[in-house]
Amino acid sequence: MKNNRFTGILITALTALALWSLWPTWQDYSYSRKITGFTTVEDSLKYHEEHREQIEHAAEKSLKLGLDLKGGMYLVLEVDLVDLLRERAWNKDAKFEEIMSVVEQKSAGVNTHIISLLQEEFQAEGIRMSRYFYDVRDTDEEIVGKLEREASQALSRAKEIIRNRVDQYGVAEPVIQTQGARRIIVALPGISDQERVRKLLRGTAKLEFKLTRDRESLLDALERINAYVQSAPSEIGAAEDTENPLYNHVVVMDNGRAYVPDYSREMLQKLFQQDVMEKLLPKDSELAFSARTIEGRDAGRYHDLYMLKKTPELTGGVITEAKATFGASALQPEVTMKMSSEGTSKWARITGANIGRQIAIVLDGAVYSAPVVESKIPGGSSVINGIGSLEEAQDLEIVLKAGALPAPVRIIEERTVGPSLGADYIRSGLLSSSWGLFLVMVFMILYYRKAGVSADIALVLNVLFVLSVLAGFGAALTLPGIAGLVLTIGMAVDANVLIFERIREEIAAGRNFRMAVDNGYSKAFSAIIDSQITTLGAGFLLYIYGAGPIQGFAITLMIGTAASLFTALVVTKGIFDLLISRNLMNEKSFG
Amino acid sequence: MQVIKNTSINFYGARKVAYALSLVLILAGIASLVVKGLNFGIDFKGGTEVVLRFDHDIEAADVRSVLREAGLGGSVKGYGNDRSILVQSDFEGDLNQLKTLISSAIDDRFPDNAHELMRIDSVGPSIASDLKWAAFKAIAGALAAILLYVAIRFEFRFAAASVVAIFHDVLIVLGLFSILGGVFDIMPLTVDLSIIAAFLTIAGYSINDTVVVYDRIRENIKGGKPADYERLFNESINQTLARTVITSGTTLLVVIVLFIFAGPAIRGFSFAIMVGVLVGTYSSVFIAAPLVLDWNRKFGRAIHLRGS
Repeated sequence: MKNNRFTGILITALTALALWSLWPTWQDYSYSRKITGFTTVEDSLKYHEEHREQIEHAAEKSLKLGLDLKGGMYLVLEVDLVDLLRERAWNKDAKFEEIMSVVEQKSAGVNTHIISLLQEEFQAEGIRMSRYFYDVRDTDEEIVGKLEREASQALSRAKEIIRNRVDQYGVAEPVIQTQGARRIIVALPGISDQERVRKLLRGTAKLEFKLTRDRESLLDALERINAYVQSAPSEIGAAEDTENPLYNHVVVMDNGRAYVPDYSREMLQKLFQQDVMEKLLPKDSELAFSARTIEGRDAGRYHDLYMLKKTPELTGGVITEAKATFGASALQPEVTMKMSSEGTSKWARITGANIGRQIAIVLDGAVYSAPVVESKIPGGSSVINGIGSLEEAQDLEIVLKAGALPAPVRIIEERTVGPSLGADYIRSGLLSSSWGLFLVMVFMILYYRKAGVSADIALVLNVLFVLSVLAGFGAALTLPGIAGLVLTIGMAVDANVLIFERIREEIAAGRNFRMAVDNGYSKAFSAIIDSQITTLGAGFLLYIYGAGPIQGFAITLMIGTAASLFTALVVTKGIFDLLISRNLMNEKSFG
Repeated sequence: MQVIKNTSINFYGARKVAYALSLVLILAGIASLVVKGLNFGIDFKGGTEVVLRFDHDIEAADVRSVLREAGLGGSVKGYGNDRSILVQSDFEGDLNQLKTLISSAIDDRFPDNAHELMRIDSVGPSIASDLKWAAFKAIAGALAAILLYVAIRFEFRFAAASVVAIFHDVLIVLGLFSILGGVFDIMPLTVDLSIIAAFLTIAGYSINDTVVVYDRIRENIKGGKPADYERLFNESINQTLARTVITSGTTLLVVIVLFIFAGPAIRGFSFAIMVGVLVGTYSSVFIAAPLVLDWNRKFGRAIHLRGS
C-alpha cells in the first residue's frame, strides 16, 4: 500500500511537471489566437502592449518549432581553409601552388584534418613545410600544430563574425554553430529576403585601400594582354583568327578609361587571375572591376576597369565605426567610416603622400570608389560611395562593423522553406499524430478492454512527456520530429502489449489473478528492457551521425522510448494496483 | 478479444521455404540495385530542388516544357497534389538566378495561375559525399552496437543471427526502393537523409522484435536438452506470436496514417518503415531464431545464455 502511494505521487508529480513545462506553449498559443482575433489592428497592438511581458515570456519558454515548420533558411557554410593556408604561406612558387591544388582537390567534401592532408602532401613530395610556413627552423610537427591552431581560431572567429552580422541584421532566434573543422551551420527562422542574407553571410568584408596605377600603364598592360590572348584565343572564348580578341570585351574610351560589359566580367576575372598576368602586368599590380555598373550608350551595363597596386596601403582592420547615410551632394547612399588612432596617422601619411592620385576603396576585390586625393586627411575618416541602394549601404555597415572574415566562406548547402509550406506541414503533422493516437487507442480498448484503457492513459502521458521534454530543453519540433512522435505512438504500446499478453498467458495457465498480473510484469521485464535498449541505441546513433532534420526524429524517438519504459512499467502497474485493491478489476478486464 | 491464442505453428519446419523466399527477394533487390540503381535525392548527389505551388491545378508536362525552353535541365514532376510541382536539377550557383529564371518563365506562360516557391533546397556536391559517409557510419555503428549488445545479453550466435536478420530487412527494403523507384508519381522513393533515418528505425524495430523472441527462448531453454531445442524454439516463437503481431499491427497502423496524411515530404520515409515493419516481423519469426538453431545443430554445442 505504501509502495502504491509512492507510485501515485511520482506519477502525479511528473505529470504536473510536464504540464508546467507545456503551460507557456498553451499561453503562447492562446495569446496569438487572441491577438489575431481582434477586429482592428489598434486593438491587437494595444493588447500586445498591455501584456507584453507575459507574451514574451510565454514565447520564450514555449515549444519551439523547427525551421521546416516555421519557414526560414538553413545554410551550411564552409570556410575556405585552403585559402587561409595560401594566405599564411610565403615564398610561394609553382611547386607550392601545385601542392595546394592537390590539397584543394582532396579536401573537397572533407570536414576534418585539412592540415594533416597538407602535411601528407608535403611528405609525399619530400618537402619540408618550413620552406613555406612560419620559421625555417620549425619542424613539420610544430608547423602543423601552429596551422591547426590558426585554422580552428579562424573557424571560431568566422562563426563570431557571422553571428555579429546575423544579430545586426536582426533575426529572431538564430542558430549558429560550428561543425567539424570548417563548417558553420546557420539556421534563420522566418527570413524573407534570402538573397540579402546570402550576400550578407558570404561576403568576406575584406576592405582595402589601394593606390591606382596611372592610365597609360593600364592601357599598356591591356595591349600586352591582348597580344597574349591572340596567341591563346581559347582563353577568352574567341575564334582562332580574331584580331584583337581582348577588345571585344574591353572598351577603351578616348579619355583613357576602360570599361567591361557586365556579361564579360566573370570570364575576364578568370583570365586576370591566371599566373601569366604577373608577366603581363607591371610589378605588384592587379586588375579590378568596379562593384557598380553604369549604363553605356548602347544601354548595356558596364563596369569600370582599374589597375591597382596589389599591396594595399591600409586594410579594414583599422575601421572602428561605420555608418550608412546619404551623401550630402547627390543623395547617394554611402557609408562613412572612422579609423583607430593608429589607422588615422597612417591614413594621414598615405593621403598626404599621394595628393592628386587616386586611392581605390576595395571591398572583397571589387572597387567601390576611387576618389582623387585632394588633401591630406588628418581625422581618420573615409567614405565608401558608389553604392546601389540604401539597403546595400546598411548591409555594408553591418559587415564592416562585424569585421572581416579570416578566410572566404562558401555556401555549400541551403534549404529554404516558405511560411505557407510550414503551415501545411504543421497541419498534416497534427492530422497524422491525432489520427495515429486515436486509432491506436481505439484498438487497445477493443483488444484489451479495461487494461487497454490504462495502456491508453499511459500512451497519452507518453505523448505529453515527449512534448514537455522538448519544450523544457528548448529543442525544436520538426516535421521528422512529428514523424518520430507518431511512430513512438505506435511503438510505445509495445511494452504494454508484452505485459498484457504475458498476463493473459498466466491467467490461461490458471494462476490466481493477482499473481498473474505480478508475474506478467516481472516476466516481461527482461524482454522490455532488452528490446527498448536496442531501439534507444539506434536512436542515439541517429542523433550522433544524423544531420539537421534527422536529429529531430532521433530525439523524439529516444524520448518516446524512454518515456514508454516509465509509462508501461510504472503507470499501468500503478493503475492496476489501484483497481485491483478496490476490486474493480478481474480476469475479464484483460479482454 | 484475442485473435491469436495457443498457436502451434512449426516455424522451424517452414524455415527452408522462408530462406528460399528471402533469398529470392534479396537477389531480386540486388539485381535491381545493380541494373537500375537507386534514385538518389540531392542530399546524396548534390543539386537543387524547388517545390512550386500553383493556385490552380497544373500539368507537370506543361511546366516541364516551359522550363526546358528557359534552359533549365533536370526533372519536373507532380508533387503530392495536383497543384504542386517538384523541380530537380543539378543547378549550382546563385539560387537567386534560379528563382528568377523559374518564376519569370512560369509567370510569362501561365499568367492566370499564380505560383509560390514553397521550398528551395540546394546541396553542394562536397557536402553530399560527406552526408553519405555519415549515413554509412551511422548504419555500420548501429549494426556493431547491436551485435555487441545482443552478444553480451544473449550469446554470439544469437547476435550474429539478429544482424543477419537486420541485413535481410534493410536489403529487402533497399531492393524494393530500387525496383519501385520512380514508378509511382505520388511516391518517387528517392533516397535521401530521411530514408537513412528510416533504415536505422527499421534496424531498431527488427532487433526489437527479434530480441523479444530471443528473450522467450532464453526463458524456455533453461535446463533443456539439445534434442528439445527444436520444440522449445517453436514454442517460444508461438508464445510470443500474439505480441509480435499486435505490436506490428499498431506500428503499421500509425505508419499507414503517416503515409496517408503526413504529405509528400515524408512519404518515402513512411513507405520504408511500413515495408520494414512487415519484413522485420517476418524475419524475427522465420529467419533469426531458425538461423540460431541451424547454426547450433551444425556445431552441436549446447546453448548457454547469459542474462535473464
